[in-house]
Amino acid sequence: MILSNLLHRPIRTVVSILAIAIEVGMVLLVVGMTTGLLHDAARRVEGLGADIMVEPPGASFFFGLGWAPVPIKVADRLAQIPHVLAVTPVLFQSNTNVGSGVNVIWGIDPASFDRVTGGFVFLKGGMFSGPYDALVDDLYAKAHHVKVGMTISLLNHDFRVAGIVEHGKGSRLFIPMATAQDLASAHDKASIFFLKCTDPGYTDDVMKAVHQLAPQYQVISVREYMTLMTANNLPALDAFITALIAVAVIIGLLVIFLSMYTTITERTREIGILKSLGASKGFIMTIILREAAVLAAVGIVGGFLGALGAKRVILASFPTLSVDLSVEWAVWAALLALGGTMLGAFYPALRAAQLDPVDALAYE
Amino acid sequence: MEPIILTENLKKVYHVGKVDVPALRGVDLLVHEGEFVAIVGPSGCGKSTLLHILGGLTSPTSGKVLVDGNDFSKMTDADRTRFRRHKIGFVFQRFNLLPTLTARNNIEIAQHIQGNGYNPHRFEAVVEMLGIKDKLDYKPYALSGGEQQRVAIARAVICEPKILLADEPTGNLDTENSQVVLNMLRTLNRNFRQTIVMITHNPEAAAVADRTIRMRDGYILPD
Repeated sequence: MILSNLLHRPIRTVVSILAIAIEVGMVLLVVGMTTGLLHDAARRVEGLGADIMVEPPGASFFFGLGWAPVPIKVADRLAQIPHVLAVTPVLFQSNTNVGSGVNVIWGIDPASFDRVTGGFVFLKGGMFSGPYDALVDDLYAKAHHVKVGMTISLLNHDFRVAGIVEHGKGSRLFIPMATAQDLASAHDKASIFFLKCTDPGYTDDVMKAVHQLAPQYQVISVREYMTLMTANNLPALDAFITALIAVAVIIGLLVIFLSMYTTITERTREIGILKSLGASKGFIMTIILREAAVLAAVGIVGGFLGALGAKRVILASFPTLSVDLSVEWAVWAALLALGGTMLGAFYPALRAAQLDPVDALAYE
Repeated sequence: MEPIILTENLKKVYHVGKVDVPALRGVDLLVHEGEFVAIVGPSGCGKSTLLHILGGLTSPTSGKVLVDGNDFSKMTDADRTRFRRHKIGFVFQRFNLLPTLTARNNIEIAQHIQGNGYNPHRFEAVVEMLGIKDKLDYKPYALSGGEQQRVAIARAVICEPKILLADEPTGNLDTENSQVVLNMLRTLNRNFRQTIVMITHNPEAAAVADRTIRMRDGYILPD
């Protein structure tokens, strides 16, 4: 009976399913893209191979958002701490050229950077050979159709692409440290220091030593940084995600409410017939709610498939983005959609159950 | 013989805006088990209201209604619904089949609502008797009026109700189909001692009943 009823009004059924699918897909994609952004940034830091990060006071753990350069000579003092294998300074520069969006460019010292990270994997080209040479990672190159030898505009200057490197080592764009300092008028300054210990087991000891050496600096292990890169630690982002999820759920709920409300209005006489056969209020409510549950189930599956499809399209169109579709959030999205659907169908179901059988049978 | 239906001074008043409209003004009715009773009268005389009260679809304003020993005036809506589920079968003028279901599903849903499950022997016997075996997989729109009414009768009797209440069962049928439906009601009554209360405008339809009760202005007229 439930399937017959749903198939009897195919357009309304499809619209309802679509609304739920969009709700589920939207929840998955909003969460997937925000967590993907954070996880991608975190993975790239992890990919450096450093154990500890040392930043000036007030620096943001979103690289490039804070601007608080410190003397680069601090690196020499950090390098003298026992169990420190290598230290590399990095100067962040935010590139906001029209057309290429906002990118954080890392000014690096290739020699120390290689000691900490083990060096870039060059897919094409090689290291800087001049002050206005740049390295880009493969995803940036794919997204912006960049080739070795091309000139790209960074920080309002033309840079020659010296090499394309495998992604996953901090940034997507690298320029020589001296050039970055020049362009930022921050001579002999750096934004952050990455430390590699002789053994990861010495991380805590080295962090304590850094605290003693420079108590005003922020010292954080890469391991801890990874745990901080979640939406929960970014109140504004968390609120943004919550707001978007709430909007998606409310829209889904309203569509189902309207759909089921018109359903029971159209089927008033049928409800009267069921009542004349002795159907209880519970029976009538169950029919309406089960219909809604079927819509939700199909919509949820549709939402999952839609999100997977959208992920493919997004990654194909914007290779530098990252979309993390987690099972945990798939479960949450399904529960939210099911809950919203049941809530939206509840009042129409209740109203159907409370219809007077004589009035319902006389309904034209 | 014990009466299966007994009403005493039964009254029903509808409130339409600020106006009270009396539909039944004090009906005394007695129907015995196994009887086939026809109720005739002009439109608005209260026949349908009486049938709805006897079927537990609505409650009386005052008076006594005993159906199979149960006093409807003291029962809650849920209790009357439960009683209707097990003891009452309805046949309507407009057939009232569920349009999205096949004839088979329309009959089966009555068994489903009753909760005793599908009884294949009863099902076979009923559809055989009503001559709708080859129509079971059709939806109502694909059936003639007479076939729809036979499916509706099958649905009404599939759960072996104590009382069959028929509200103008031939009102939407031509003469030939009317006769078929009336014959089936007669057969049900004679072969299975099915108690039937039938409302009709049609004197020929009323003639198949054991007894005819006449109503006017919310009263039952004396014989």
